[in-house]
Amino acid sequence: MGRELTEAIIDGILGGGVYALMAVGLTLIFGVLDIINIAQGILVVLGAYLSYVLAVHLHIDLFVGLLVTVPAMFLVGITIQWAFIRPLRGRERTSMSLLATYAVAIIIEGVLYIIFGANYVNLNSWYVTTGPRVFGFYLDYIYIYGFLLAVVLVAAIYVTLYRTQFGRSIRATMQDHTAARLVGINVNRVQMLTFGIGVAVTAAGGMVFGATGGGFNPNTGYDLISRLLAIIILGGLGSIAGAMIAAIFMITLEGVVDVLWSPSWSVVVFYIALVLVLAFRPQGLLGRKEVRAQ
Amino acid sequence: MTPHRTRFLTISAVTAAVAMAAAGCSSSGGGGSSNSSGKSSSAPVVIGASLSLTGDFSADGQAFRRGYELWASEINKSGGLLGRKVQLTFQNDASDPTTVATNYTKLIAQQKVNLVFGPFSTLLTVPAAKVAARYGYAFPEGAGGGPAVYQLKLPNIFNPSPPIADQLVPFADWVASLPATERPKTAAYPQVNDPFADPMTEAAQAVLQKAGVRTVYSKVYPAENPDYKAGADAVAASGAQMVVLGSVDVPTATAFIQAFEQQHYNPKIFAASAGPDQGADFVKAVGAKNTTGIMVPNGWYAGLPNPLSQAMVKAYLAKYHGTAADINADVAEGYSVGEITAAAVKATHSLDNKKIISYLHSGVTLQTVQGPVKFNSVGENVVAQKFIFQWQQGTKFVQVLPSSAAGSVPIVNPKPAWGS
Amino acid sequence: MSPPPAAPRAIRSARVARLARPGALLALLVIAAVFPLVVTNALDTQFAVDTLIYVAAVAAWNLFSGYSGYISLGHAVFFGSGAYTVGLLTEHWKVAGGTIFWLLPLAGLVAAAIAVPFGLIALRVRRHTFVVITIAIFFIFQLLAYNLSFTGGNQGISSPFFLWSAQNYNNPFYYVALILAVGTIALSWLIRHSRFGLQLLAIRDDEDRARGLGVRAMRVKLAAFVISGGITGMVGGLWWFFIGQALPETAFNPIFDVTVALMAFLGGFGTLAGPVLGALILEPLQQWVAITFTNGYTGEIALGVLFLLVILVLPRGIVPTGRELATSWQARRTRRRGGPGAPSGAAPPGSPAVPSPSPSGASSASGGGVQ
Repeated sequence: MGRELTEAIIDGILGGGVYALMAVGLTLIFGVLDIINIAQGILVVLGAYLSYVLAVHLHIDLFVGLLVTVPAMFLVGITIQWAFIRPLRGRERTSMSLLATYAVAIIIEGVLYIIFGANYVNLNSWYVTTGPRVFGFYLDYIYIYGFLLAVVLVAAIYVTLYRTQFGRSIRATMQDHTAARLVGINVNRVQMLTFGIGVAVTAAGGMVFGATGGGFNPNTGYDLISRLLAIIILGGLGSIAGAMIAAIFMITLEGVVDVLWSPSWSVVVFYIALVLVLAFRPQGLLGRKEVRAQ
Repeated sequence: MTPHRTRFLTISAVTAAVAMAAAGCSSSGGGGSSNSSGKSSSAPVVIGASLSLTGDFSADGQAFRRGYELWASEINKSGGLLGRKVQLTFQNDASDPTTVATNYTKLIAQQKVNLVFGPFSTLLTVPAAKVAARYGYAFPEGAGGGPAVYQLKLPNIFNPSPPIADQLVPFADWVASLPATERPKTAAYPQVNDPFADPMTEAAQAVLQKAGVRTVYSKVYPAENPDYKAGADAVAASGAQMVVLGSVDVPTATAFIQAFEQQHYNPKIFAASAGPDQGADFVKAVGAKNTTGIMVPNGWYAGLPNPLSQAMVKAYLAKYHGTAADINADVAEGYSVGEITAAAVKATHSLDNKKIISYLHSGVTLQTVQGPVKFNSVGENVVAQKFIFQWQQGTKFVQVLPSSAAGSVPIVNPKPAWGS
Repeated sequence: MSPPPAAPRAIRSARVARLARPGALLALLVIAAVFPLVVTNALDTQFAVDTLIYVAAVAAWNLFSGYSGYISLGHAVFFGSGAYTVGLLTEHWKVAGGTIFWLLPLAGLVAAAIAVPFGLIALRVRRHTFVVITIAIFFIFQLLAYNLSFTGGNQGISSPFFLWSAQNYNNPFYYVALILAVGTIALSWLIRHSRFGLQLLAIRDDEDRARGLGVRAMRVKLAAFVISGGITGMVGGLWWFFIGQALPETAFNPIFDVTVALMAFLGGFGTLAGPVLGALILEPLQQWVAITFTNGYTGEIALGVLFLLVILVLPRGIVPTGRELATSWQARRTRRRGGPGAPSGAAPPGSPAVPSPSPSGASSASGGGVQ
C-alpha cells in the first residue's frame, strides 16, 4: 500500500502538470477578458491533432513539433478573439461569450470530425511508455517532460507578466479595464494577444494530453472542459499559480482515492472537495477576493 | 403594453408555432424515402433505422451503417426482398435517447417504412424498441445486448449477436481448465462502469473465483473518465498474474496497456471485453509489438470459416476496400440484422411485421454471418457462437476458443512480455 | 405640428393594445389545446411533446437564472432527480399506466428538497464561481447515479411497457407537458410582476445595493432556486415516463444544461417571452438540422455558424433586440408623421425611447411592461 500510495502521489503531481498546461491558458483568458472560454476543451484536442499530423505525416518529434503548433494555435486564438469575442458588448457580455465560445467549439469539433473522422488516434513516441525506475516503480518520461514543460511555460508567463512592458499592460487590464484605458493601454490589443497566448499554451497541453491519454477523438473535448473549469475555479480565477496548484491537487487527490478506495469515487471526491473549498473560500485557493458586484 | 410590443410578441409566437409544425411536418429528408404503400411490385421495400452518426457512439454508428448498407446492396444484387429492391433510410440520433424515439416515430408513423432496423447500443435500444413495439413493428437489432434490454420482455426485439453477459465465459472456462501448475493464482479485474463491460467481467470473475483464482484487485471506473493512470498503476502494483479488463473501447484498453508496459508489468494472461476487437485501430494504438497474447471475445471476425461470412468479407472489400482485418465487428452485426429480416420475409412471403415477429419467435434456426441464430421469447440468441480471439505474431487476429470449433488455433500462453 | 390629429389614433391604438395582448394569448392557448386533436400525425405530437418539455424546462430555468442573473449549468441535477424519483417510485410501488402522472408532484418535491442544500452552498459565491459549483454538483449527482446500487447503476431504470394505442400515445404526455409549460410561464409572469420578482431583478442589477436597500438576498435567491428546481424535477419525471428509460448519462445530461442556457440566451436572457421563444425556435431547428444534414458533422458546423450569426446580429437575444427595433421603428414613424418627438401616448413609462448602448441595456427597464 505504501508503494502504491507513493506512486499515486508522484503520478498525481506529474499528471497535474499536464492539466496545468491545459488550464493555465483558460485562467489567463478569464483574468484579462473576463470571459469563460468554453472552446478550450476542443482547442486542446485541436492542438493534439496538429501534433498528430506533424508526427504521422512529417515524422516530426512531438516536442519539436511544438515550435510549429504553438504559434499556429496563437494565430487561431487571435482570430477567434478578434472575430467573435471582441464584437460582444454590453452587460450580458459574459453570458454572450459563453454562447459564442460554445458555438466556436462545436464548429471546430465538426471540422475535426470531417477531417479526421470519429476514430481514436494516439500520439506515440519512445518516451511515452518508457521511464526511469523510482522507489520500486516506473515513471513515464512523457509525464516528466510534460511537467517540466508546464513549469517552463508557467515561468515564462510569469516573467512576461512581471518583467515586461506588455506584461504590465496585461496586469493593468486584469485589474481594471477603464483605468487601464485611461493610462493609455490599448485594451483591445492586450485582450486579443492574451487570448492568443492562452490558446497557444493549449497547443502544448494538447500535445502532452494526446500522448498520455490512451487516445482521443473530436468528442474528447467535452470531458475536458468541465475538468478544466473546475481546476481554474479551485485555483482562483485569473491566478496562474493557482491553476497549477489546483491541477496537481485534483489529479493527486483522484489518484490517492483510486488507490485507497475506488476509482468510481475519485471524481466525486474531487468535486465534493471543490464544493467544500468554495463554500469556505469562494474566491478559490489563490483568487483575489472580489467586490460582490459581478 | 404597447401595440407594437403586442404585435411583435404575437407574431413571433405564431411564427414559432408554425415553424414547429412545419419542421415536424417536413416529410422528405435524410436519405430520401418514399411512402411505398403502393401494391406495385416495383415499389422499393423501405427499411428505416436511426444510427449514431455523430456523438459518443459515432465510430460504431458509422460501422453499423456500413453493415446495413452492405447487406442492402448484396440483397439487391440477388433480386431484393420479394422481388423488390431494398432501400435504406437513415436518421441520425446523435447518440441521444430523446432523438432516437422521435426518429423511429418519424420513420414508422410518418414515413411509413415497411420495416425497421435497430440503433446502436443498449442505451438507445430501449426507448427505440418501445416505439416500434407500440406500432407492432419487429425490431431486429445487433447492438443492444445488455440485460436491461431483455428485462423489458418486449415481444418484438431480436438480437442475433451473442448476449453480452456470457461472452467472456469461454475464456474463463479455459483458464479454469488449465492444469494447476499453469493456472494463474491471482487475478485483477479493472472494469469500466458500463452495461457492456461490467456483466462480462463479473461473469468471468465468478467462474475464475470458483476455480481457485484469487482476486487481488477488483475496482470499477467511472464511465466518463479520461484518466486511468493511477488505477492502472495500482493494477500493476498488485502483481496479479492475470488481468481481465472490462473496457469498452480502444482508448481505455490502450491506457491500461501503456501503463502496464511502462511499469514493466507482464501478466501471464490478459483479456479485455472490448478494444482489442477493433482491428487495425487497436494495433495502431498500442503498437504491433504489444498485441500478441491479448484475448478478446467477439461474435465475429473476418477470418471466420463461415461461408456466409466469407462472402460478406469479399463484398465488403469490393465496396469499401482496405483489408479484411480492418473490418469492424459492428459491420457483421449490422449485416446479420439484415439477414434475419430477409429470412423472415422470405419464409412468410410478406412484409407484415406481425408475421415476421411470430416467425422469428417460432424457434426456427437461421444462419447468419455471425453463425447460427435462434431466438428465445425475449429476443436473445440462444445458440449464439461465442468466440474468443487472440492477437498473435503482432498483427494476426485469430480465433482460439472454443478450441473444438472449426478454425480455432492453439492459444499463445503465457502472454509474451511487452515490446517483444 | 398640432397634436389633435394624432389623438383619436392614439386612443384607438390604446384600446387595441388593451385587447390585443390577452386576445392573442387566448388564441395561442386554444390552438395549443386542440393541437393534438387536429394534428393527429404521431410524429408531430411527439415532436410537440419534446418541444414543450424544453419550453417548460427553459421557463423554469429562466425563472431563477434569468431573473437573478446567476447562470446555473446544473439544472440537470433536478431534471435527473425528478426522472429517477418517478422511475424508482414506479418500480417500487408497482404503479401502472396513467397513474404514473400523479407521481410528478412527488418528483417536484424531491427536486425542491435537493435544491435547498444545493442552493445554500452554491448561492453564497459570486456568479462565475456559482456556474462552476453548479457544474460540480451536477457531476456529483451523475456519478452517484452510476455508483449507488438503488439507482440501477449503469443499467438505469426503465419504465414498464404499456400497450396504449400508438396513434394517440403521445396525447396524454402532450397535455401534461402543456400544463407544465403554460403553468411555468404563468408563474414567471406572476413573479415578474410581484414584489418578489422585483427583489430578484434588483439582485440581478446590483446585489450589494439591493442588500443595502433591505432585500434579504439569500432568502430571495434560494426561494427562486427551489421553485425553479422543483418545476424542473417535474419536467424530468415527465421525460422519464415519455422516453421510458433513465440512465445516469441521459437523465443527468450535460447537453441538457447547455441547451437550456442556449435557448434562453437566444431568445433573450432574463426576459419573459425570450426563453420560451428560444425553445420554440431552437428545438425544431436542431431537428431540422439533423434531418437536412445527414452527414451529422456539417450539421454541427451549421448550427455553430448560426449561433455566431445570432450573437453578432442580436447580441442581447431575439426579444430585446426585436423590441429595440420595434421601438425605434415606431419612434421613426411617429416623428415622420410630424407629431411630438416621443412615441404615441400608449407607450408605458420606463421604456427607453432610443436603444442605448449603455451597459444597463434595454432589458433592465425598472418596473412596467412584461419583459
